[in-house]
Amino acid sequence: METKETADFGYRRVPAAEHTRLVHGVFDRVARRYDLMNDLMSGGIHRLWKAQLIERLGPRPGQLLLDVAGGTGDIARRFVARAGGGARVIVCDINHRMLEVGRARGLDAGDSKAIRWLCGDAEALPVADASVDVYTIAFGLRNVTRIPAALAEAWRVLKPGGRFLCLEFSNVEMPLLRRVYDLYSFAVVPRLGAAVAQDRDAYQYLVESIRRFPRRGRLAALMRQAGFDQITARPLSGGIAAIHSGWRL
Amino acid sequence: MPEVDPQLLDILVCPLTKGPLVYDRAAQELLSAEAGLAYPIRDGIPIMLADEARPLRDEEKARLKAKPQS
Repeated sequence: METKETADFGYRRVPAAEHTRLVHGVFDRVARRYDLMNDLMSGGIHRLWKAQLIERLGPRPGQLLLDVAGGTGDIARRFVARAGGGARVIVCDINHRMLEVGRARGLDAGDSKAIRWLCGDAEALPVADASVDVYTIAFGLRNVTRIPAALAEAWRVLKPGGRFLCLEFSNVEMPLLRRVYDLYSFAVVPRLGAAVAQDRDAYQYLVESIRRFPRRGRLAALMRQAGFDQITARPLSGGIAAIHSGWRL
Repeated sequence: MPEVDPQLLDILVCPLTKGPLVYDRAAQELLSAEAGLAYPIRDGIPIMLADEARPLRDEEKARLKAKPQS
């Protein structure tokens, strides 16, 4: 069946099926240098943001976390380290290569048995209804083809009383900061991508996709439509990023 | 060949139908009778994407139907 559904691939409007393929290509290409690039681009600040995500989450022993788009296992390891006894994480990523990088790193770092790796699509999760305590998605929702579908799936897999947390780039309100940030994003980041990951286009996509992602208020509205309650958004670093929180009640 | 973790298997469903899966240990596949698909397990990682799955043959479907699902 022909479908005319489209999605933003950075600043380009592309057919939905094409979007999935293009994003897949981006992450295939940057997988090996992904965490290094994050450090370089953000001056290490992404680590502080992730630490704040874990802080908000307050991991507890025995919890099961589903970390979606969590390829390299960054959130998973922080969660396990904080939660202690019996906490488990399923890392689910649509990109097999990102998972391989994450798992290989885990073997090097002596990852505990608490982390499981799963290849799946945020829009069609292979996970049973009401089966996880916490759902996180850090710098992943932006790359999903249909954000409402991903939010509906997050709600479905959470147990009643379960929590959704999304860490994502957001909108900068302060005019001066915005100007500096825009200049940095468009002049510096694609060049860094070219130099470090030998891939300018992938990082051009990255900065464009950040600008296309729904603003905080809009994302809150989408979360409400998906069924979430007690929705909050906390800007980080002047709104460069934000932590979105909601509960399945 | 790393085994798939039993606790992970417990909460896995077919991403299309959300129905149950049958674990074929020998073939390293997860079979969805309702979707008629076999999802591969590569290096212990279940690949739960319809695009990567193999359509089940008729005799495989019949065998799944005959056997009560776990």
